[in-house]
Amino acid sequence: MSGIFRGNFALVVKIVILAGVTAILSLLAQSAFARGEIAIGSFLVISIVALNFTYLTKVSIPLKFFVPGVLLFIAFVIGPIIFTVVMSTFNYKTGNYISKEAAIEQVLIRGVEPDANQTTFDVVAGKASDGKDAILVSDVANQKFFLSTQDNLSTLDANEVVVNEYGVATTAPNFVATSLEDLALDDSYAKIRYKFSDGYYIVIEAQGVGAVFRQALTYDEKTDTMRNIQSGEVYVDNGRGNFALEGSPDSVLTPGWRAPIWFENYTKLVTDSRVRTPLIKVFIWTVIFASLTVLSTFAFGLLLAIALNRRMRGRRVYRSILILPYAMPSIMSILIWGGMFDSQFGAINNLLNTDIAWFSNPTYARAAVLLVNLWLGFPYFYLICSGSLQAIPSELLEAAAIDGANPRQVFRQITLPLLLQILSPLLIASFAFNFNNFNLIYLLTGGGPRDTLDGELAGATDILISYTYQIAFGTNILDFGLASAISVLIFFLVASISFYGIRKSKVMETFG
Amino acid sequence: MTKWMRENLWRHSTAIFMCIFALFPLYLVVLSSLNPSGSLQLTSFIPREISWDNYKMLFSSPKIPFLSWVKNSLIISSTVAISSVVIGAASAFAFSRLKFKGKKLGIQFLLLVQMFPAILALSAVYVIMERVYSFAPSIGLGSQAGLILVYLGGSMGVNIWLLKGFVDSIPAELDEAAKIDGASPMQTYWLIFIPLAAPVLAVVCLLSFIGTFNEFILARLFLVEMEGRTVAVGLQQFIGGQYATNWGAFAAGSILASIPIVIIFLSLQRYIVNGLTAGSVKG
Repeated sequence: MSGIFRGNFALVVKIVILAGVTAILSLLAQSAFARGEIAIGSFLVISIVALNFTYLTKVSIPLKFFVPGVLLFIAFVIGPIIFTVVMSTFNYKTGNYISKEAAIEQVLIRGVEPDANQTTFDVVAGKASDGKDAILVSDVANQKFFLSTQDNLSTLDANEVVVNEYGVATTAPNFVATSLEDLALDDSYAKIRYKFSDGYYIVIEAQGVGAVFRQALTYDEKTDTMRNIQSGEVYVDNGRGNFALEGSPDSVLTPGWRAPIWFENYTKLVTDSRVRTPLIKVFIWTVIFASLTVLSTFAFGLLLAIALNRRMRGRRVYRSILILPYAMPSIMSILIWGGMFDSQFGAINNLLNTDIAWFSNPTYARAAVLLVNLWLGFPYFYLICSGSLQAIPSELLEAAAIDGANPRQVFRQITLPLLLQILSPLLIASFAFNFNNFNLIYLLTGGGPRDTLDGELAGATDILISYTYQIAFGTNILDFGLASAISVLIFFLVASISFYGIRKSKVMETFG
Repeated sequence: MTKWMRENLWRHSTAIFMCIFALFPLYLVVLSSLNPSGSLQLTSFIPREISWDNYKMLFSSPKIPFLSWVKNSLIISSTVAISSVVIGAASAFAFSRLKFKGKKLGIQFLLLVQMFPAILALSAVYVIMERVYSFAPSIGLGSQAGLILVYLGGSMGVNIWLLKGFVDSIPAELDEAAKIDGASPMQTYWLIFIPLAAPVLAVVCLLSFIGTFNEFILARLFLVEMEGRTVAVGLQQFIGGQYATNWGAFAAGSILASIPIVIIFLSLQRYIVNGLTAGSVKG
């Protein structure tokens, strides 16, 4: 059997797989570099080298086990974490999303103005005899005709062209019109600047219509400024990803680019009251939500575990039923609960004979969120607690009973403290999990109710992570920079909670 | 009051109360899925008439490509589950059994990083995959292959950590014996370790399947086309904003989609509970 893993067959398979993977990755790396994605391309190249080095040499045997996992780990865990930190130092949002080069190009394309009379001509698009893009321009009013390419304008005599009933030239020597179907398929025609006169050019504005424009903005590479040719106004890089008019920083050219603004996203969290106030509100609710969830799920789970902690009729049936909420895919359960809380058609109002708009009132919405999370979470603690109750040595309880403690005293002074000690890492882990329980909030209330009229992003049931999502993806303005800064903040919060939990469990390993 | 009553009444009443709480939404879903009117109003606890229209609708209505959704979910979840265990098991084996420089540091680093909730890096993953799309659309944003890659890579930290825990619990005597007999690490891995660990790997594989099946937000951001969605995203979008009209079909769909998961979960209960006490929390 070991022959399969040695010998020629294995070698051939290994080389074929390695060659295939190398080929695919090389292809990807090449296209990545071609698109200017240096970081992704470099990572792919490093991957290729690492894979080939590991599997073609015998330098390190552990590496042969590691490399695929580690490469994926770097690509999709470490990479995004680093990128999150990087983005948090950038002005990276809608309007400041592209690279500076692309932004300059876009600003120049947009930085045009029509000539004083807003002249338009009738044009026919096509190719000149030398294959260059050309238009046949008819100045119908003056019965003048030109053939214009990107770098040349030639006047045509009226007798050279064939005109239709509107006086528009349709054919000319050295010119082949492009069919309308072909024009419809290719939108590059609209971007071509056909020469008109010095500084001015013609752009196809609509089917058969060309308008005269001139470039208003020019980019000066040396000073890194944009200048308006006519007015002489100068726009300078404002250091935040836009060209702004000198002396009036609010007047910026669009689009901007993603620019490093260092700690501004972080300082905004503290200094900008429009960011700070909702953030504090959301943070407080996040802590309340996570604490109450842990408390309620633990309390109900423990109660059940104690109730069922002896041989009794029906225990297996109870256990199978009680575990069901935990076994259901949580997404489905959350959506079902969402439907049940519907004010008009929901079963809850129906059952209570009330008419409450659950998700429109902050207090009711919060209560609903907590109730649903109790339903989702109590089976977990029921399972955990029943396991842990059995782990408490019965001698302890018996000794206490012999000493005359009543059951309540035994529970409060022996069982509960011991249980809390055993379970504290899990309670902390559950807190950390619920701190980021995005699915529940997003699928149940969507973070709402929120005052959209006030432009308020934070809803009454929003927790930090759903609020972050709202900032990043929730509205028309995607603000990845600010969202990333909050993500980093959340990470430090959760990491310190988790570290505390790990230290607790370490302590237990040593003394338990 | 008899002794039995005193000792057991509260136990049974607590259990029954919580069972009703646990069952209520589930019973309601079953009821609605059989209710032809398609509403989720609680008219009575016993259905007056039973109709399978909602189930039929799932398989016949062109507006709800339910079968494609199920197929997508199955493909994505099983690809991710199998690949992540195959790749993760090798790394976990190395971390657990092989000696190399920087092992302790590596484990500590892994522990630290797997604490970073994947959802925090959501916008970063989005931007990265958007850029991948610009040069390789078939594995970038919007493609199932891209989503699989993101799931697979994203699960590496937690998965290697979880698998390492399981591998540590498998006695090392056998592979040490193999080593003394002159087996190379590769042989030890394939001939001794994998057969020994197979049940554990299967469990982790199924857990990973459930986890991926349950994932919502990445799938939501990635899969835009109706036909290409997963069950979770499809059903969520389907009822979005108009509970009243679509509830019946949604109920039927979520029952069908949940049954396999519930069965897997219940059959793995023992392992999951053990895993839970090891400190992991299900989503």
